[in-house]
Amino acid sequence: MFSKILIANRGEIAVRVIKTCRRMGIKTVVVYSEADADSLAVEMADETVFIGPPPAAQSYLVQDKIIAACKETGAEAVHPGFGFLSENASFAQRCADEGIVFIGPNPGAISAMGDKIESKKFAERAGVSCVPGHIGEIDDTAHAIRISEEIGYPVMIKASAGGGGKGIRVAHTRKDVEEGFPAVRAEAKASFGDDRIFIEKFITSPRHIEIQVLGDKHGHVVHLFERECSIQRRNQKVIEEAPSPLLDAKTRDAMGAQAVALAKAVNYDSAGTVEFVAGQDKSFYFLEMNTRLQVEHPVTELITGVDLVEQMLRSAAGEVMAFGQKDLKINGWALESRIYAEDPYRKFLPSIGRLVRYDPPVEGEHGDRKHAYTVRNDAGVREGDEISMFYDPMISKLCTWGKDRITAIDGMARALEDFHIEGLGQNIPFLAAVMDQARFRSGKIATSYIADEFPEGFHGVEPTVFQKDAMTAAAAFMHVTLARRARDAGGPLARPLTRQDWVITVGETRRAVTLSPSAHGMDIEMPGEGRSLALREVEWRPGSPVFRGVLDGVAFALEAKPAAEGFVIRQRAATARVLVLTPLSAELHERLPKRPPADTSKMIVSPMPGLVVSLDVKEGQEVKEGETVAIIEAMKMQNIIKTERDGVVKTVGPKAGDSVAADEILVEFA
Amino acid sequence: MQQILEELERRRAHARAGGGEKRTQSQHAKGKLTARERIALLMDEGSFEEFDMFVEHRSHEFGMETQRVPGDGVVTGWGTINGRVIYVFSKDFTVFGGSLSGAHAAKIVKVQEQAMKVGAPIIGLFDAGGARIQEGVESLAGYADIFLQNVMASGVIPQISVIMGPCAGGDVYSPAMTDFIFMVRDTSYMFVTGPDVVKTVTNEVVTAEELGGARVHAGKSGVAEGAFDNDLEALTQVRRLVDFLPLSNREKPPTRESFDEADRAEKSLDTLVPSNPNKPYDMKELINKVVDEADFFEISADWAKNIITGFARLDGQPIGIVANQPQVLAGVLDIDSSRKAARFVRFCDAFNIPILTFVDVPGFMPGTKQEYGGLIKHGAKLLFAYAEATVPKITVITRKAYGGAYDVMSSKHLRGDFNYAWPTAEIAVMGAKGAVEIIFRAEAKDPEALAAREAEYKARFANPFVAAGLGYIDDVIMPSETRRRVTRALKSLKGKVLENPWKKHDNIPL
Repeated sequence: MFSKILIANRGEIAVRVIKTCRRMGIKTVVVYSEADADSLAVEMADETVFIGPPPAAQSYLVQDKIIAACKETGAEAVHPGFGFLSENASFAQRCADEGIVFIGPNPGAISAMGDKIESKKFAERAGVSCVPGHIGEIDDTAHAIRISEEIGYPVMIKASAGGGGKGIRVAHTRKDVEEGFPAVRAEAKASFGDDRIFIEKFITSPRHIEIQVLGDKHGHVVHLFERECSIQRRNQKVIEEAPSPLLDAKTRDAMGAQAVALAKAVNYDSAGTVEFVAGQDKSFYFLEMNTRLQVEHPVTELITGVDLVEQMLRSAAGEVMAFGQKDLKINGWALESRIYAEDPYRKFLPSIGRLVRYDPPVEGEHGDRKHAYTVRNDAGVREGDEISMFYDPMISKLCTWGKDRITAIDGMARALEDFHIEGLGQNIPFLAAVMDQARFRSGKIATSYIADEFPEGFHGVEPTVFQKDAMTAAAAFMHVTLARRARDAGGPLARPLTRQDWVITVGETRRAVTLSPSAHGMDIEMPGEGRSLALREVEWRPGSPVFRGVLDGVAFALEAKPAAEGFVIRQRAATARVLVLTPLSAELHERLPKRPPADTSKMIVSPMPGLVVSLDVKEGQEVKEGETVAIIEAMKMQNIIKTERDGVVKTVGPKAGDSVAADEILVEFA
Repeated sequence: MQQILEELERRRAHARAGGGEKRTQSQHAKGKLTARERIALLMDEGSFEEFDMFVEHRSHEFGMETQRVPGDGVVTGWGTINGRVIYVFSKDFTVFGGSLSGAHAAKIVKVQEQAMKVGAPIIGLFDAGGARIQEGVESLAGYADIFLQNVMASGVIPQISVIMGPCAGGDVYSPAMTDFIFMVRDTSYMFVTGPDVVKTVTNEVVTAEELGGARVHAGKSGVAEGAFDNDLEALTQVRRLVDFLPLSNREKPPTRESFDEADRAEKSLDTLVPSNPNKPYDMKELINKVVDEADFFEISADWAKNIITGFARLDGQPIGIVANQPQVLAGVLDIDSSRKAARFVRFCDAFNIPILTFVDVPGFMPGTKQEYGGLIKHGAKLLFAYAEATVPKITVITRKAYGGAYDVMSSKHLRGDFNYAWPTAEIAVMGAKGAVEIIFRAEAKDPEALAAREAEYKARFANPFVAAGLGYIDDVIMPSETRRRVTRALKSLKGKVLENPWKKHDNIPL
């Protein structure tokens, strides 16, 4: 085994590799760019080498610098992580030429699988099922119909030069082809000046399922079952799981066997992934092979107990794989949620910046025996670190394992509750929403899941009965704790807080309650509903952003922020303003008319904090929908702000050079 | 006998009805509470005791003799906020539009005098239509009587004004002389002359909201120290503010039990200051991570945002915080930020509230706009305020402390008690680039030589150690240790005694 390796990567994957190396007694060298000088990976590594400015093209992607760093530190091997140089055959070759071991597959396997057409040919030869289709010239409509019927409906008619949704039609019947083929051809000619068309099988409601393979340098290849990565947003994976809720043992074996066959065909000798697209009918077709460790590898590790990084190191060092296919079993279920620095409430706009607060759930075993789950959080950041514009905006990969799928999902929902991040937008509420959706829980998912379930984007969800109860109980506890302390500190005329009857409002829900505090908890009677709540085991003190407790035997956590009056509370995907009022105050609240929320259709607000680079409309000016009104620079990126309606400008807020806050009004219409 | 007792209740009920059901309803329809409802929310439950409920005006002009309502448009009295005595007056818009008569003014003056005598804060809730014109000069005299009390009470007891409806003409000057003004968005406005007069005199067409709404005064003019969405929020927040303040200048601010460890370390503060000196960061993160329970009551949050002012606690002890905000105009001192901070520092000093100052200041704002506006004298206000303050003063320089602004921001030289710096501090006359361009003017045409000089200057001065070597900085501290260090420093200053020479009063450059 190696005594020292270099990690040609950054962030969580660098940390991930270091962890295994430490366990195996291997010294690590981490290379870093200017932006990563203070990173966790740099802190954890035994040695570090500076390799240049933040842009990857000037640092992490410069082969000369990586090779030089290996030589300088005497690292015997390079782990490329994922991204950057991980699937670069010339780099793998270069390492070999320099006498440095590339911890990954041989260069031949990388280049064979790196080419889309080449890899399909390999796949076909290895007996892997590929999407049926016709790539050659199509003479006319009759020919198109013949091809379509050979493939079997539905088929996709697509312009070779197509893109952006143009020049694509799905045909379910012969009639569709009769109409569609000439239409697509005309569209292709008009749009792209190229009327070449191809037809392939259209998979309705497809799913993304991939097989993890592992090989050594002695011809052994096994598969470690599948991962399903159907929950994607714009082709970016968001939630992954293993195994897949779609597959039965037979399909799993068939996919695994095909993946192994393909790996063997290219002499695959490391960890790799064979990606398939699957129909809801369990049909599956080869997409491509990724010749590297995948981002979502932890879910496979959690269900198989195999450390994939360790196996990569062992096979790179020439060891013979210590287990065979028969030794591998699926144990339980694992999920991964990718925590991204993006604002789900603002169309998932990137929201990079400083992690003012970063408090992940504790790793390890959680829950009682019936609902036991295990948490794993792969992260490369600490509180106070910056999610920078130069690299992937992923904050961490939160994984949970449970004995079955629902246990893992419930565990994930709880782990997300326990995850507290401040300082930038992040998708935790969105991930929590998915965990609570019946369709996700049923396993009937597809790559179109997010588009199907959130057609209007994400705007949070209405609190459920339990969530309203939890918000009620938490707010009651917090309010009484704070009010008591204020009285205790008060003057000679202070009377102890003896009031028990309060009114608590959660959004529009209003309930009269009777509160009886107990040690670390509270009983909340709700006479109007004829029931009561028992809050116990409270873990909260003034100033804590997260409130934990057990409500009627159910453990929960929520985020509570003090507001001008009451609290703003988020539990999973539901957010509400919660007020704890005396009966008098509640009555006075009722007397005032509800103020309608500001009519934002009449204004354009800044979607993020930033600097106004330009604001080129004047008062009285007429603007048309889609016209650019302002450019806001945030984190050195210019964001073009357009109007979504026609109108006449009434007032212009800031001017070029001003700083604006998120939601600050830029332009108001008459 | 029973009848006599019942008569009291009858009269009380009549007085409490104010301007009657219809006017009360119309008040609610406008999104406003009534004078008594507001007091009930402001004070501890059941603690309010009303004075002068049966006072009526004495006017016989213009048919006023036929219209008398007990209370005469203002509710006055005292009660408690968390058991501490507070005096209050609350204008009753339902009675004569809350307009000010001689009798009405006398009621206010009575509680003002009483508050001063016992040493208790006074809170005024404003929602009124100005002078009672039928009373003429008597009403003007009433205003002046109130103004005089405001001035006498200034610096003796905290005075807080909440504008919850119209407040125009003579009515604005009483709040103007109090310590804090809060406004309610969309339902309150304040101006000396209203839109009609403005139209006549200057031909400007402007709405009341645009002329003197909460957004204008909390964000543009700086007249108001805060704005809230409705009456209930405003009153909740006034209660929160009062909890930070002593009842008078004869007391120390009230301490309370803290749920936060006094020696809590915040590792992430070690990376708060970015390695690029021109990159901003959010000073509020530092404030929130240093103070108890991240509980910070910001004063003038929306105005002159390049400086942050507000109240917080360290291990239960209230403090005033002044901090440059590098995120806005690089934290530069200009006219508005100097005025904002100077007034805040003087309030803290008047009421024995220790001051914690966080410094990251590149200097004073250059330009004709600032100089024509009198930056010299406005900047001097802050300098003056810090210099004369005798309360405990703790200063932490996080990054830049350049030029005269270094002196101003609670420096050692202005009797700072504890002056700390982070290792990232740069205490110098100016930034390295500007400095070498002056010192080495002869080499101006040789960019390479200049760059070398800049590096040299940086190495020499872009650190806290030159100042520390001279004793201007007491210690260089780890950012993560800031809470522990400033809390300890504050405790050590409990017995601080410092007096300024006797004078009638100073002559701050107003």
